[in-house]
Parts: sequence; structure tokens; C-alpha cells
Amino acid sequence: MGFLHHKEDAEDLTQEVFIRAYQSLSRFKGDAAFSTWLYRIAVNASLNKVRKSSKNLILQHLDKLFGGEEVKEVPLPASDTEDPENILIQKEHVEWVRKALDSLPENQRTAIVLSKYDDLSQKEIASIMNTTEGAVESLLQRAKKNLREKLSTKRKNI
Amino acid sequence: MFLTIKIIKMNCQLCQKESDAYREGKLPPDMRIQVEAHLKECEKCAESYRLQALAERVINQEKEIRSNPFLSTRIMTRIENIETPGYETFPAFRRILNPALITVSMAAAILYGVMVGNIYQSGQSKNSIPVELALIDDATIESVNTLSNE
Repeated sequence: MGFLHHKEDAEDLTQEVFIRAYQSLSRFKGDAAFSTWLYRIAVNASLNKVRKSSKNLILQHLDKLFGGEEVKEVPLPASDTEDPENILIQKEHVEWVRKALDSLPENQRTAIVLSKYDDLSQKEIASIMNTTEGAVESLLQRAKKNLREKLSTKRKNI
Repeated sequence: MFLTIKIIKMNCQLCQKESDAYREGKLPPDMRIQVEAHLKECEKCAESYRLQALAERVINQEKEIRSNPFLSTRIMTRIENIETPGYETFPAFRRILNPALITVSMAAAILYGVMVGNIYQSGQSKNSIPVELALIDDATIESVNTLSNE
């Protein structure tokens, strides 16, 4: 969800990841934990999907033109208040945050998704990204700083 | 016994660095007091803290979304069918098929329109007078009555 923000896409990708893992089982050498290996496949598949999505915009517009299903992002659970203005503001905030996350560089985005969505420790993230814990901490700090700046810019533009 | 309170010189950089731990309630009391005091005084850090809290809220709400309960069954079924020849190519084939079908349909529709137009035009030409008859000049032909009276 951290990469795709769309439930059906995330489920499709989950299937692909497990199929790929099953087909590559013979290549798992046991150098790292099985979960680390599986996470690497998942992260690579997610990043590939994100790259392909940005290139497929023309096909998406064509599909939409011929009555294809419009891909909608999953609406978040309703809040306690039913005030329409609050709901509108909430939707706008959600869009800001998603766009800000999507605009991060790939390595920062990967680090923040693994940390915030999957609640992994810096040690686990470092193992998945094949880097050091210090590098992961640095990536997370920069990602948070970038997120703050992008959200702050959006807020000022209103 | 004396209680030692650590006095920390709080600044914006430190406040932003500790804001995550502050939000999660993981800061020691003396640091928490310092961060709270700074957030009350510094509008920039307070705004930054609110934006971070907003991002956390959106992320937490996305995390709460549950997958389809039959997802694992679908995955197992696909894994079981994985040896079926051509099965794994089907999803990719379907991804290419939709746009290809749309293009072929458009081309077929245009071709059909051109063919119908050609048939209509050739139909019209069948109703026109044959060349031999068109060349006959009625004014030079003798009347049938004249011929029969002879």
C-alpha cells in the first residue's frame, strides 16, 4: 500500500511477488533471512510497478476513453465527522500526503515505506536494502525532511 | 538524594529530530518538557509537527486497510496451476489484448465504412444508362408509325 495506495493493485502485486518467490526458490541460498529475501522481491516488484505506471499514462487515457474502468485510489475509512467541508479537507490532505510520498527519491521512499508501513527496524531495513544502519537512518531523516518541505509547500500554495 | 534534571538547549533542529519520539511518547520527561515548550514558542516547528502528524495519520489509515480474505487462496491456486502450459502467460496476454482489440475494432469499423461506401457508389452507377443507349439520338430516328405505314 505504501507504494501503490490502491488495494486491488496491491493484491495483484502480492500475488506476483509470491509466484516469483515460488519460481525462484531454488535461487535462495540462505545468506539472509527468508523474510529479507521475500521483502527484496516485494520492494523490487513494487518499484518496477511504480516505474511502469508512470509510463502507461497514455494507455490508461485510451482505456478510459473507451469506457474502461477508471482506476480509483482506495478511499480511507470515514472519519467521525460527517461535515462535508471536513470530508473535503480530509480528502485533500490525503492527496497531499500520497503525492508527497510518491515524489520522494526511490531509496528514501523505500526506507520510509518499510519503516512506517511495515514497522521494520533500521537493522531489518538495512538488510533488505543491502546497506548499513547508518545509511538507513540518514535516508529516513532526509525522507522526513523532504516530506515536511513538500507538505509545507502545498499548504502555502492554498 | 538529589534529583538531577538535565537542561537541554532546545533548538529547531533538535526539536524536529525528536518530534517522532515525542509523538510516540518515548521521550524522557525532561526532553519532553523541553520539546513541548519549544513547540509552544516556535510557530515553524509547530507547523512542521502538525504536518508530520497529518502524514502519520494518513499512513496509519492506509495500514488499516485489510486485504481480501481470499487472497491467500487465490495465490495458492495460482501456484498449483503454475505448471499448466501457457497459464502464466495469460495475465500478460490479457494486458496486451485490450488495447490491441480496441485498435483492431477501430480499423475494422473504418474499413467497413469504406466498403459500404464503395458498394453504394457502384450500386448507383448500375442505375445509369448504358453507353450504347446513351449514344442514340432520338431526333434522327424515324417514327415507328412511318415505318409501319410503308
